Amino acid sequence: MVVMAAKKACEIMSKSMFEEVQRWGCMKQTGVSLRYMMEFGSVPTERNLLIAAQFLHKELPIRIARRAIELETLPYGLSEKPAVLKVRDWYLDSFRDMRSFPEIKGTNDEKEFTQMIKAIKVRHNNVVPMMALGVQQLKKELGPKIVHEDLDEIHQFLDRFYMSRIGIRMLIGQHVELHNPNPPPHCVGYIHTKMSPVEVAQNASDDARAICLREYGSAPAVTIYGDPNFTFPYVPSHLQLMVFELVKNSLRAVQERHMDSDKVSPPVRIIVADGIEDVTIKVSDEGGGIARSGLPKIFTYLYSTARNPLDEDSDLGTGEAVIMAGYGYGLPISRLYARYFGGDLQIISMEGYGTDAYLHLSRLGDSQEPLP
Amino acid sequence: MVVMAAKKACEIMSKSMFEEVQRWGCMKQTGVSLRYMMEFGSVPTERNLLIAAQFLRKELPIRIARRAIELETLPYGLSEKPAVLKVRDWYLDSFRDMRSFPEIKGTNDEKEFTQMIKAIKVRHNNVVPMMALGVQQLKKELGPKIVHGDLDEIHQFLDRFYMSRIGIRMLIGQHVELHNPNPPPHCVGYIHTKMSPVEVALNASDDARAICLREYGSAPAVNIYGDPNFTFPYVPSHLQLMVFELVKNSLRAVQERHMDSDKVSPPVRIIVADGIEDVTIKVSDEGGGIARSGLPKIFTYLYSTARNPLDEVSDLGTGEAVIMAGYGYGLPISRLYARYFGGDLQIISMEGYGTDAYLHLSRLGDSQEPLP
Repeated sequence: MVVMAAKKACEIMSKSMFEEVQRWGCMKQTGVSLRYMMEFGSVPTERNLLIAAQFLHKELPIRIARRAIELETLPYGLSEKPAVLKVRDWYLDSFRDMRSFPEIKGTNDEKEFTQMIKAIKVRHNNVVPMMALGVQQLKKELGPKIVHEDLDEIHQFLDRFYMSRIGIRMLIGQHVELHNPNPPPHCVGYIHTKMSPVEVAQNASDDARAICLREYGSAPAVTIYGDPNFTFPYVPSHLQLMVFELVKNSLRAVQERHMDSDKVSPPVRIIVADGIEDVTIKVSDEGGGIARSGLPKIFTYLYSTARNPLDEDSDLGTGEAVIMAGYGYGLPISRLYARYFGGDLQIISMEGYGTDAYLHLSRLGDSQEPLP
Repeated sequence: MVVMAAKKACEIMSKSMFEEVQRWGCMKQTGVSLRYMMEFGSVPTERNLLIAAQFLRKELPIRIARRAIELETLPYGLSEKPAVLKVRDWYLDSFRDMRSFPEIKGTNDEKEFTQMIKAIKVRHNNVVPMMALGVQQLKKELGPKIVHGDLDEIHQFLDRFYMSRIGIRMLIGQHVELHNPNPPPHCVGYIHTKMSPVEVALNASDDARAICLREYGSAPAVNIYGDPNFTFPYVPSHLQLMVFELVKNSLRAVQERHMDSDKVSPPVRIIVADGIEDVTIKVSDEGGGIARSGLPKIFTYLYSTARNPLDEVSDLGTGEAVIMAGYGYGLPISRLYARYFGGDLQIISMEGYGTDAYLHLSRLGDSQEPLP
């Protein structure tokens, strides 16, 4: 593999473009709430889509530039890792695409714009595993010199970076989906106005059990308690991702703990509770739990032991397909998804017994996107 | 009631004593661990008791003086409230008693010393409700001017103050108890070397159910899951206090939620798990839960709505009897007890469903006392 010397942004682009990145990266970001997205998108007239596109035409470059700048100023030489440079180049290319798109004046412009941002989203599909690879490259280099507190700065960067990515992809995906001539019933873009959390939990559990079955030959039962007729507005794909992650972890823990036992494995239990402020989904297992001292690690990006599927890839150019799992980022990123719309994810464990995960989803929908 | 003008410590004592308080209040505190207390106290020879008494004679004045000084420098005029002045006077009197006790040279000295510190402990029996009264007096005065963020300073003071009190009373109580000629089997002072958490949980639940029965005429069931033969070293009175508090809250929540229902109330469930680092006790209820926005309040000292039994007492001098409950400090103080030996208390709630309380007790016993 040819190792290219790390080139700074100012070296690979024109001076004026570099200055634009700096300028846009300092502009104030504008957040929207779930409720606003839902109300605005429920009337997808040509005029409204035009207004939305014009908003995105101004807002997305700000968010993209901000991240591009941060990618260049990471500590411990993380910015120079080949995988991180690749991600930075994706961000710079996307910034360039956005800035060179002319003013959106009519429906044709708007349709082209939508195609453009759709392509940008595809370009960034594998940012998470690519960044994970960069972090791994850094770990190998630092070796035993790593001091846990120093890595805190990298953790905080990754939290901001991935949260921002969730927002950008939500805005793009929502806008693209509003052009769907045959949307599913009750859906406004990505938002299902009558989402049943029990139903989503059921689907996510089935997926997780299928994976467990494939890996171990058997899978513990998952029981779900809650009103299947209860619905509220949310983004099903987000909830599915989070519940899948939690149930997957629980199934694995129970399976590992009871593999050599004759008795029936204790089921994983899900409770769906609807309150006034929150919908809370608890995923409980009797998988033996995690020691209190080990709990902070489960939310870190730097201690993952899972194999990175990109590691064996000598050509960093391929990345069209979305790569699932394999790099242990499930929990921290699930928590970011929960917090994106004003919720949270908490994990409490009883060492020697099992673990409870609490997913709080804000029902009110008034939370502004976090804008790190 | 005659309102006395608040007198500062420097006004009510001799200059030299005042300077001593300042000097001792700045000395370094020395903590001990549960394990050390247990190992040391398991050999209660006259010589060891002498050594212990000499340690306490140096250590207790440091801790007492530190608190006396802090009591004089509280924000928002809390230091001038009559109830707080009373507590300060208790601390100053106790400091004086300690400092005027001569050097401990033999067993007779040691026995007298033990009687003296026993009397000090009794003097301070009602510090918690008395401080609570002082805080109430402050609240009435500040009225609507209270800004939640300002009160954070008072919260942190009370946490430090009460944690220190737990430590002082543990040291005194342990030393006094070591003189018991007929200790219960397997006990080293306050520490039960083979405490069964299931047994303690049963006792605490029975007590809590009795109170619920008295107040409501009925009480939900409490189920306890765990190995009754599992034991580890701990202070049973501490655990009893914490579990009692949690079960009391759970029973009340369930009772209130299901009062008008014909169906049987859902039981409160306790799980006792033994791990390598921790023993964890979970108390779960289906009492309807607490909204996420309301959760931080349950650990505060300033938002309690319960009636203070001292409020009606016009003569602040009476206070020999230990007053139980009534001022809503149960949860924050339970958490301090948990943390005293390196554990913790976490409360998670599912709004619309119920609440789970997790009591983590450190099994290793190596944690040093927290010394705020």
